[in-house]
Amino acid sequence: MSTDNRMLTMAEALREAMGIAMDERPEVFILGEDIGIYGGAFGVTGDLYHRFSPERVIDTPISELGIVGAAVGAALSGMRPIVEIQFSDFTAQAMDQIANQAAKIHFMLGGALHVPLVLRTPQGSGTGAAAQHSQNLETWFANVPGLKVVVPSNPADAKGLLLSAIDDPNPVIFLEHKLLYKIPGRDPVPEGAIRIPLGVSKVVREGKDLTLVATGIMVNKSFEVAEKLAAEGISITLIDPRTISPLDMNPIFESVEKTGRLLVVQEGPSHGGFINEVIARVSESSSFGSLIAPIKRLAGMNIPIPYAPQLEKAAVPQIEDIEVAARELVKSWR
Amino acid sequence: MTVERLLMGHPLSSPDHARHALLYMYRIRKFEEAVEDLFGRGMMHGTMHLSIGQEAGPTGMCLALKLEDQITSTHRGHGHCIAKGADLTRMMAELLGKEIGYCGGRGGSMHIADAETGNLGANGVVGGGIPIAVGAALASKLQKKGTVAVSFFGDGAMNEGAFHEAANLAAIWKLPVILFCENNKYGMSSSTETAFAIDRLADRGLGYGIPGVTVDGNDVVAVYEACEAAVARARNGEGPTLIETVTYRWKGHSRSDKNLYRTKEEIEEWKHLDPIPNFISKVLAAGILNQEEIDAIAKMAQDQIIEAVNNAAQAKSAVPDGLLEAVFKAVSA
Amino acid sequence: MSFRYPVVMPKMSMTMETGELIDYHVKVGDRVSSGDVLFEVMTDKIDMEVESPADGVVEQLIGEVGATVDIGKPVLILLTDTEVMAFDFGGEPAQLPPAPAIVEALPVIEAVVAVPQISVPEVTAPVAVAPVIVSHTYKAVPKARVAAAETGIDLRTIVPTGPDRTIMYSDVINRHPTEEQLKRQAANRALIARGIEMTQNIPQASFTRSVTVSDSGLPHLMSAWARVLRSRPELNVSGKDGSLNPQVGVATIIESKYGSALPVYKDPDLLDMKTLSELVSTTSTAARHGKVPLAMLSGATTTVFDLRSYQMTSTTPRLFPHQVTALTIGESSGGAIAVSLTIDLRYCDFYDGAGALDLLVKTL
Repeated sequence: MSTDNRMLTMAEALREAMGIAMDERPEVFILGEDIGIYGGAFGVTGDLYHRFSPERVIDTPISELGIVGAAVGAALSGMRPIVEIQFSDFTAQAMDQIANQAAKIHFMLGGALHVPLVLRTPQGSGTGAAAQHSQNLETWFANVPGLKVVVPSNPADAKGLLLSAIDDPNPVIFLEHKLLYKIPGRDPVPEGAIRIPLGVSKVVREGKDLTLVATGIMVNKSFEVAEKLAAEGISITLIDPRTISPLDMNPIFESVEKTGRLLVVQEGPSHGGFINEVIARVSESSSFGSLIAPIKRLAGMNIPIPYAPQLEKAAVPQIEDIEVAARELVKSWR
Repeated sequence: MTVERLLMGHPLSSPDHARHALLYMYRIRKFEEAVEDLFGRGMMHGTMHLSIGQEAGPTGMCLALKLEDQITSTHRGHGHCIAKGADLTRMMAELLGKEIGYCGGRGGSMHIADAETGNLGANGVVGGGIPIAVGAALASKLQKKGTVAVSFFGDGAMNEGAFHEAANLAAIWKLPVILFCENNKYGMSSSTETAFAIDRLADRGLGYGIPGVTVDGNDVVAVYEACEAAVARARNGEGPTLIETVTYRWKGHSRSDKNLYRTKEEIEEWKHLDPIPNFISKVLAAGILNQEEIDAIAKMAQDQIIEAVNNAAQAKSAVPDGLLEAVFKAVSA
Repeated sequence: MSFRYPVVMPKMSMTMETGELIDYHVKVGDRVSSGDVLFEVMTDKIDMEVESPADGVVEQLIGEVGATVDIGKPVLILLTDTEVMAFDFGGEPAQLPPAPAIVEALPVIEAVVAVPQISVPEVTAPVAVAPVIVSHTYKAVPKARVAAAETGIDLRTIVPTGPDRTIMYSDVINRHPTEEQLKRQAANRALIARGIEMTQNIPQASFTRSVTVSDSGLPHLMSAWARVLRSRPELNVSGKDGSLNPQVGVATIIESKYGSALPVYKDPDLLDMKTLSELVSTTSTAARHGKVPLAMLSGATTTVFDLRSYQMTSTTPRLFPHQVTALTIGESSGGAIAVSLTIDLRYCDFYDGAGALDLLVKTL
């Protein structure tokens, strides 16, 4: 632990985690499209190909179904594969292997076999890549029992969560927002193999007026809003579930009981979105009786992500939207 | 749990080998007949896909495999499972929804797996097991284990994208995998004539740089010989082989099949090509076993199946307790 | 040696429970080979031929042609040349009536063991964690309901100050009015009472019409009424001296924690509907909290009293001092609204009032 103030980008943090895991365990290997010499479409694997070997950082043909299936088979046979799918949108090509095979094998086969597999993939809008390269798909996976779903919001969490995901004996879908790859987080990334357990929500900041639950890049946007509104005397608790499935609701319940107000934010479309699960669980719980305001959600419009920058921006919640919603909830409801 | 160690070698190479091949083919036949009976009487739940008529394929293939070699299987997978050495009682118990069943009643007929015999599982999705077998072979290569993976699949699966992607990966990485196509002429009701524009499905290997072999799938000897060569190739690091076994399923796709898409005459014709008498005639001609010994093997197989059914029926039914906890394997501290 | 084998009604699909026996293809004494059709059955519009499992002789036909037979029940008894596997666990198979006596009497395979009953889990209805609901009529946030239930407060006695007239938590906690609130409420009440007293002896007349409108929002109604008054200046005069008012000022009545608040909208018909709607919304919210901008406290030439949130049809119409018209809007049947107009007969005639109301209805 030489330095405690290393400000890495998320791409660097993820690469560090994979390097550590590959040093620790010979059974860890990576496979994916253009992850070798090219270093990954978003540069996440970077120099791992040179640090390790072509046998452990395997460049594959453009063949998502094939490589996810091969990763499932390897995982069943003593390996711990990390598959990189270039864009989360392309997981649709591999969905049989993800949803019907990897997710179900442990349960369906009576626990005889298990699938220690990590599927890393970038998601999210903001790059002008339009409808087939910009989706937020955590809800697809969260709706399949047998998959764990991680959505990191910052480099330090990304590193610790990825190390735990690689350790996990079950398939883990690791969804990385592509706009976060190149930016350093607010907190330094600790050196070494520091793991963050899956299924533990993080309280990013504490406040007494509003509970704000956000995922992925929306955590960053919400944090800015919380800081800004603090100057107006509005104090916000910001919670980042980090793992969509399994979902740790306890800090959310505790906070709602204190603040009585809940705002949930995600980038993906609202219909059937993950945030609805948070709302449903609060509604079913005794925390419901603590609410002094209607629950408010902010999510992407129920449309494919459009191309033009002004259209793309309009399709997903922006900082201003979060700010208005947070202020309105606190000001109007007492 | 006792696992019957598989015997390896040519089915005509010794009386033991012949007995083994015959016993396994009879076991598969009798197992399927028992399942049909139980289902017909409403004592078995769900649906079932019988492999009566196709016994020579898995038996011949598995005679070329070691216990630690791996297989992936299909919805019509009882034969593969038995041939790889699975416990008959646990198989039957699974079909009857019992706790001692291979999947504790959670999988049923289409999802039996057996880690001890290298069976990575039957599959409810056509073609689903092919990339998985390729991945098992990739693991074998990376770990230098020297094991071979076999993917059983039907003719229908060869038109799934999974076959093509898996075949290509197996070829470019020279993986120790055998793509074992059981061409039983029909993918449910669509015949290979309507679903393919080629006569020999093994020709599909050419496009991937994989040798393709077509053999009589009702001749356990021919199947063994092709498989033995493919396994040797795989273990030598020469890569995958595509084996097409031409065979026939006597029964419908599943129980609700009315056989509208094929004629009685066709079914009759194939029943004359029954793989069991086919092998018996070879064994008798070679003088390896006599008729008495053969009858005893048939009786033994039937007794084993009856015993498996009785043991399974007496076992405790699976209960819903703990289903939620069964979704994920526990993370060890 | 031969073996008696019952050929049963086969289960042919996951959901099948019974099948209809269509016809026998054989008769007693017929010699059959394995694969020969014995009888034909039908279920769910699918008919299927049942084949002989082995070579043998037909001993008995059990079913009646056309009858419905449960799956697993014997339809035909075959004397087979070789032993055929048949399983009957003696007990009751799942979802099936007991096997008929004839099956029990058959010397089939010694595979007779009890089928353990599949235990059906007792499903317990989930216990909903719901807050105690005091009233369905009034909107209140969950915590307000919980607090009211805990302290025995009847929510119907609470003045809602939240958006959409929702009772907020703070409304329950602060239900006992403060000294200041009481003082202001009393002052307000006295003011209004004095005003009504002043107009009590004025000769008045009232007219009521029921009308269905596409936009029944208060801003729209207010704007329409202002337009009517603008076109009928004789109805927009001062009740003090009959002089013409230079503008149309519409007062509304809002319930606040300090008693009634009466914000006045000046010339609402000259504002576009979006601006007016926003103004009404913000002003009403502020008024509920007892805050009305100074500029909106005077200049009323008429009053519009919206009774609909109280589910009322009408109230005793009263004129406010120096105003010659007052409009109340209440609920009517079938989604219509009831519009009542009261006029000061010292300055207007009966037909002025009737005409103005008619014009309002037409404007709407």
